[in-house]
Amino acid sequence: MMEQPQPCCKGAQVMLNLQPTSSVSIQYHPLFGSHDDLILLELDEKLLPDVLYQRVTLRGQTDEDAVLCTKSKTYSVKFVGTSNSVLLVPPADYSTSCKNSRDCDGEDYEQQIGASVIKVAPGNMELVEVAPRLDKLKSILSENLYSSDEALEKADLDSMERSKRRLYTWDDLTNKVQASDDELRTGLQARSAVEIDGYWRIVDEKYMDLILRMLFHNSVLNDWSLDSLIEDKVVSVLESDGFPRKLAYHCLYVYGGRVEEAMDRGVWKMDARRVCVHFARGILREGKRKMESFMEEWMRMIPEEMQVSFDMLEGEVLTEKLGVETWVRVFSVSSLPSTPAERFSILFKERPKWEWKDLEPYIRDLNVPGLSSEALLLKYTRRTQPKVDAEPVFTAR
Amino acid sequence: MQIQVKCSCGAEKCPEWAIIELQGVVEVQPSFRDSLQNLQIGLLCRPSFQENYTFTVGYHELTGSKVALKKPMLVLKKIKRMNVDQSDEATSSSKVELDVVGVIRQKILFKTRPKALISGPQPAVKEKANAAGAAAQKQSV
Ligand SMILES: [Zn+2]
Repeated sequence: MMEQPQPCCKGAQVMLNLQPTSSVSIQYHPLFGSHDDLILLELDEKLLPDVLYQRVTLRGQTDEDAVLCTKSKTYSVKFVGTSNSVLLVPPADYSTSCKNSRDCDGEDYEQQIGASVIKVAPGNMELVEVAPRLDKLKSILSENLYSSDEALEKADLDSMERSKRRLYTWDDLTNKVQASDDELRTGLQARSAVEIDGYWRIVDEKYMDLILRMLFHNSVLNDWSLDSLIEDKVVSVLESDGFPRKLAYHCLYVYGGRVEEAMDRGVWKMDARRVCVHFARGILREGKRKMESFMEEWMRMIPEEMQVSFDMLEGEVLTEKLGVETWVRVFSVSSLPSTPAERFSILFKERPKWEWKDLEPYIRDLNVPGLSSEALLLKYTRRTQPKVDAEPVFTAR
Repeated sequence: MQIQVKCSCGAEKCPEWAIIELQGVVEVQPSFRDSLQNLQIGLLCRPSFQENYTFTVGYHELTGSKVALKKPMLVLKKIKRMNVDQSDEATSSSKVELDVVGVIRQKILFKTRPKALISGPQPAVKEKANAAGAAAQKQSV
């Protein structure tokens, strides 16, 4: 009574389309085995098209846990084991696509009826969205900064010499850094990296300083407004001063922004905050300074038409009182690790107690998918409020 | 290192695979362990119009149902490709790719403990669900 013929007699199809009051034999597949090369990956329905249309890759060195990257996001890949028996049933024609034709075409295959189990899966892989692992990007690009020396000797560098230096193309970076293409691009931008002769580089701050000062020098000489710099003019003047064209353009890009309304004419406006931060870092590179002497030198360096305020340096410098004097020193958020645990550990090593207004600039960029900034604070800090109307203070948990 | 994930069946044509999930382990009698290929595990029956199923393994019967997975599951196959550099034949490297060979959306899940069938004559092929029974009992106590 149960043995009715099936419309399709083999494989997963017959099992999934089993008609009422009928049955199917379940057996070991002719190619049954451990098949460690067959992996189950559970994923959100919305990611399915990305995977099927070749828009995802797995990234990571052999010593790293692999991540899966779509165009814009990064997911860690975790194995989840099961104590149940998960019998994996392929479609009827699966074995015909295998390489070992003897097994497929021979009698073994002919004997296959019903649905066959190819392997017992010990579990499956799962995806968890994570922040891109961009700290490595900074460290590998910092191995070899683009300096003024290189800009000058550029002409005599042969390819051998170039290959000796550790330089990275876009493809090298996607092979080395665990981040999606979009996140990698944003990461390069945030670190002011620039592609020079096919390699992504970070330019030495001292060299950038030279270009920026020359730009300001020229703006005074030629009576340019820093709110509307004509790209062609700036770049050609800097070029005649001996800077590579690419670097002249990069200077505008790092310390300014294109004026939207004049997009087609290539007009740039210098960004006061970025310029001010640059000069402050330059002054404090040698060590901490008393507030008065710092302010005096800082003001002197910044072009007159720019508005300066100490607030611009939040997330870049810290002040501390020693006796009657206030000192300023560099403590830049961009130099801190991007994983929350490491970030908070360094912050609390720096200062055991933080007020919110000081702390906020150093954690606002932390990005943990699925975790709000409140949740991060709860996880890594202890919040105390000495009095009801007092500022809350954060200490290590 | 970068591993490309692709589907060589052509996306929409990627075939559906299926899963039978049960508690414990299907145990094969020692004399058959070296020749599992084509060996029958059991009989899957759909007794009625409902999506309920029975799976008879050896002397045991499991009762379960067809369920849709909460999230789809892909079957990936690791493929090693040898890259022989045309310009320099001495350098060849193998490149790993992952091919999506199937999509799983449904499984037949047997989450109850196996029921012993009243004994009949001993069948020739003996796959036992004994281990499955033991595991299920442990959990249910
Ligand atoms: Zn496919």
